[in-house]
Amino acid sequence: MTLSVDNGINQIEGLLRQAKQSIDDGRVPVRIYNDPDIFALEKERVFGRAYIYLGHESEIPHPGDYVVRYIADDHLIVVRDEQGQIRVLFNCCRHRGMQVCRAEMGNASHFRCPYHGWTYRNTGELVGVPAGKEAYGDVLDKRAWGLRSVPRVESYAGMVFASLDAQAPSLDEYLGGMKWYLDLVTRRSEAGLEVIGAPHRWVMDANWKLPADNFVGDAYHTLMTHRSAVELDLAPRDPKFAMYGVHVHAGNGHGLGMISSPPGMELPPFWGYPQEVVESLQRSYPTPEHVAVARRINFLHGTVFPNFSVLNVMIAKDHRSAPTPMLTFRVWRPVGPDRTEVWSWFLVERDAPAWFKEQSYQTYVHTFGTSGVFEQDDTENWRGITRVAKGLMARDHELNYQMGMSFLKLDPTWPGPGEAYPLDYAEANQRAFIRRWCEYMLNEV
Amino acid sequence: MIEVNEQVYREVRDFLLREAELLDNGAYRDWLGCLTEDIRYQVPVRVTRDRGVESEFVSEMGHLDEDHVSLEMRIMRLETEYAWAEDPPSRTRHFVSNIRVEPGDRDDEVKVKSNLLLYRTRGDDPHYDLLSAERHDVLRRINSQWKLARRLVLLDQTTIGTHNLSILF
Repeated sequence: MTLSVDNGINQIEGLLRQAKQSIDDGRVPVRIYNDPDIFALEKERVFGRAYIYLGHESEIPHPGDYVVRYIADDHLIVVRDEQGQIRVLFNCCRHRGMQVCRAEMGNASHFRCPYHGWTYRNTGELVGVPAGKEAYGDVLDKRAWGLRSVPRVESYAGMVFASLDAQAPSLDEYLGGMKWYLDLVTRRSEAGLEVIGAPHRWVMDANWKLPADNFVGDAYHTLMTHRSAVELDLAPRDPKFAMYGVHVHAGNGHGLGMISSPPGMELPPFWGYPQEVVESLQRSYPTPEHVAVARRINFLHGTVFPNFSVLNVMIAKDHRSAPTPMLTFRVWRPVGPDRTEVWSWFLVERDAPAWFKEQSYQTYVHTFGTSGVFEQDDTENWRGITRVAKGLMARDHELNYQMGMSFLKLDPTWPGPGEAYPLDYAEANQRAFIRRWCEYMLNEV
Repeated sequence: MIEVNEQVYREVRDFLLREAELLDNGAYRDWLGCLTEDIRYQVPVRVTRDRGVESEFVSEMGHLDEDHVSLEMRIMRLETEYAWAEDPPSRTRHFVSNIRVEPGDRDDEVKVKSNLLLYRTRGDDPHYDLLSAERHDVLRRINSQWKLARRLVLLDQTTIGTHNLSILF
């Protein structure tokens, strides 16, 4: 790895060790949000090792269906082979390295390289080499030159994750306590979730950790960032509505918040899902505790370390409509220290009524995604932070991550896993996220 | 049936240019007045597909998928004191060209295609974002005035190269 003249790896590791200590005191150096050397190390030590979300099984329902996805700079074909198994193949021909797949999605039994024509089955197996006999004699061992598979590919509740690290733990172990909370959004129906259409993709000039930090625990920002939505009645009238929730560090840097009705306001149970979905979740959830917890949720936000976030909230699609629940998954793909490609999917229960799917879709498009009136303002903040995190003043400039540190006590009665605080105006999750990030960056995980 | 003659073409062109001017000047309320009550305004997601596939556009998913009420909501939002994405406002310039007019499906409508180049800067950053698209519009004549009844914006990017779509096409 090449680092710039005045930094060097020792200096970066020194900074990281310091950051890991200062997070216990609720202080974070702003430069982690825009530093080329930190970014270079991150791609290797975080994105080279952690489980990264690639997509949902419903995006490739049939044999041969594929989508192209990324782990940082690696181009990966996520394909369902003829036997129905999901494969994740490095999109790089074994002969001279050309991409064998150049569409973003489609259906293919084979991938043929346009350069010299090496052809692979959708399992990755090399099956065709033009003029093979003449060019290679009989010595080319096709079995040894298939498309490379990503070392670890595992799914949980329809969500496909991969790790570039052959030594990575199982996904089960990696997700740990977070699985319990992912069940709340993924297991409301036996039929499961489906992705509608294709994801929104756009590029923002902001560091990837800022949205991850926002979704993992930042209920506080809704007060100011999303004030316009409150004024238009898209969100509850109380600007502090997002405070009244539970803030959970689920372990391993994963975290979420679950927000209920503000005092004096009676919001519908179970996010306001229609009766069909509410009935189905009571059958489908793995435990009665899930039902009890979900009954009180109106807004859920969370991040699976490092860059996969979930948002499941009831908001109104416009100023004349009643709030409707919607679910979005998002990936913050790192492109540069100051550049992130956002992938934003809309999902809904496959067996939900058609009228509800349509209303939930409209709610998503109007409030989140490329043009969403909530997301627009988030982006503006993240790009502003990134811009000022670059300079010399930023080198020794610390941010306050101390919310709730001195007085917020764990809720001992909380039925789910992890450390739960009875107020979502808290930053325990953000501190745990940064601490986990430091551990990955220092090769301590 | 409206006959597409010189006069109609000129009226349609003038409508598109005036509407672009209203957007670039931030006169959103006036722009809203250019729309029919039953407007559909859609910007479908586009995905790179092999040449054999009929369309790259994903009909089930839009970057924007709007009706009159939701467009009004977006404009009301800009009128609050908290629309950070557009305060300070983006500077936009809508370049409208290649206008093609055909008779519409209804007696009082015409179909209009135009090319759009949308330039955007924010703050003191000299970098600009450019969005290129073909617009498929339907214009309806109501009391001898043209109104926009349908707009389908076919973007030339699959990954959108600007940080959000807090601007309109």
